[in-house]
Amino acid sequence: MSACTGIFAVSCSREQPKEAMTLQRERQLNQFLAGVERRALRFAEIAVRDRDEALDLVQDAMIKLARNYAGRPEAEWTPLFYRILQNGIRDWYRRQMVRNRVMVWFGRTSEPEDDYDPVAQAPDPMGRTPDEQIESRQAMQKLEQAVTDLPARQREAFMLRTFEGLDVAGTAVAMGCSEGSVKTHYSRAVHTLRDVLGEYWQ
Amino acid sequence: MKKPFDEEELRAKSKSLFDDSVEQLDAATLSRLNQGRQKALQEIDAARPAGQWARWVPAGGLAAAAVVAVVVWQGAPVEHSAPEAGAATDFEILLSEDSLDMLEDLEFYSWMDAANLDSGGDVG
Repeated sequence: MSACTGIFAVSCSREQPKEAMTLQRERQLNQFLAGVERRALRFAEIAVRDRDEALDLVQDAMIKLARNYAGRPEAEWTPLFYRILQNGIRDWYRRQMVRNRVMVWFGRTSEPEDDYDPVAQAPDPMGRTPDEQIESRQAMQKLEQAVTDLPARQREAFMLRTFEGLDVAGTAVAMGCSEGSVKTHYSRAVHTLRDVLGEYWQ
Repeated sequence: MKKPFDEEELRAKSKSLFDDSVEQLDAATLSRLNQGRQKALQEIDAARPAGQWARWVPAGGLAAAAVVAVVVWQGAPVEHSAPEAGAATDFEILLSEDSLDMLEDLEFYSWMDAANLDSGGDVG
């Protein structure tokens, strides 16, 4: 005998598709987050230059997306997710600035260490020789440093467009600005990076 | 003279290096990412019942306030009216002329009461 009989039939028939829709949405979101989480971590890591902080920022972004935007169309998730992550990174920078001011007040500084190397101890999954790994790692370090040195908005535009492959419209949503601003920031970033990295990468 | 560094070349090389660094993430980091994702997915389940309950919170609050209002409105006069009614009755008895007459013959009524108890009610 079906559980959905008599007076409960109407409510059950409404609940089951709703439940199924939620499960389907949960699967879609899981798939989306699994696909984006690694790149998002490296994205945040380049911005804040600390893996633990980056992991916290990515987790917060995933939680906020699931809590507030799981019901939105799937096509909107990528720019929304990166917008949340960008906001988290900006908040992180603000906190750092306040912390640094306090440290200066007490006569101490908390400058980031220059010898930061997030992938130094990781084995190479692509089977490259140690020389190739070192070369790639050094090139990435140079790129990271150059990207980190960009003004914040230029850095965001370059990373979203180049690393995440977002188009101008998606980048504008993620950055919370106009498409014209995205083009300007991106163009300036590329110009600076060409100057900084061009000679090194020739 | 060196060839100027092409924008497309910069873009391709940057993306390639970034993708490589993503591939080189270690197992411990991937595990932490997975944990974070599972925690995020729980938010959907957590948010759903909370949303349904939250929808009824204002109605529940109004209903509770209405019940309290009815209890206060109906209960309060009952509690206060009984003593007031009793006090009014006592006051009425005290002010009535009969009662004053009874007070004047209080000694007689006291004797009659005592006699009534002793004789088993055969007085009069």
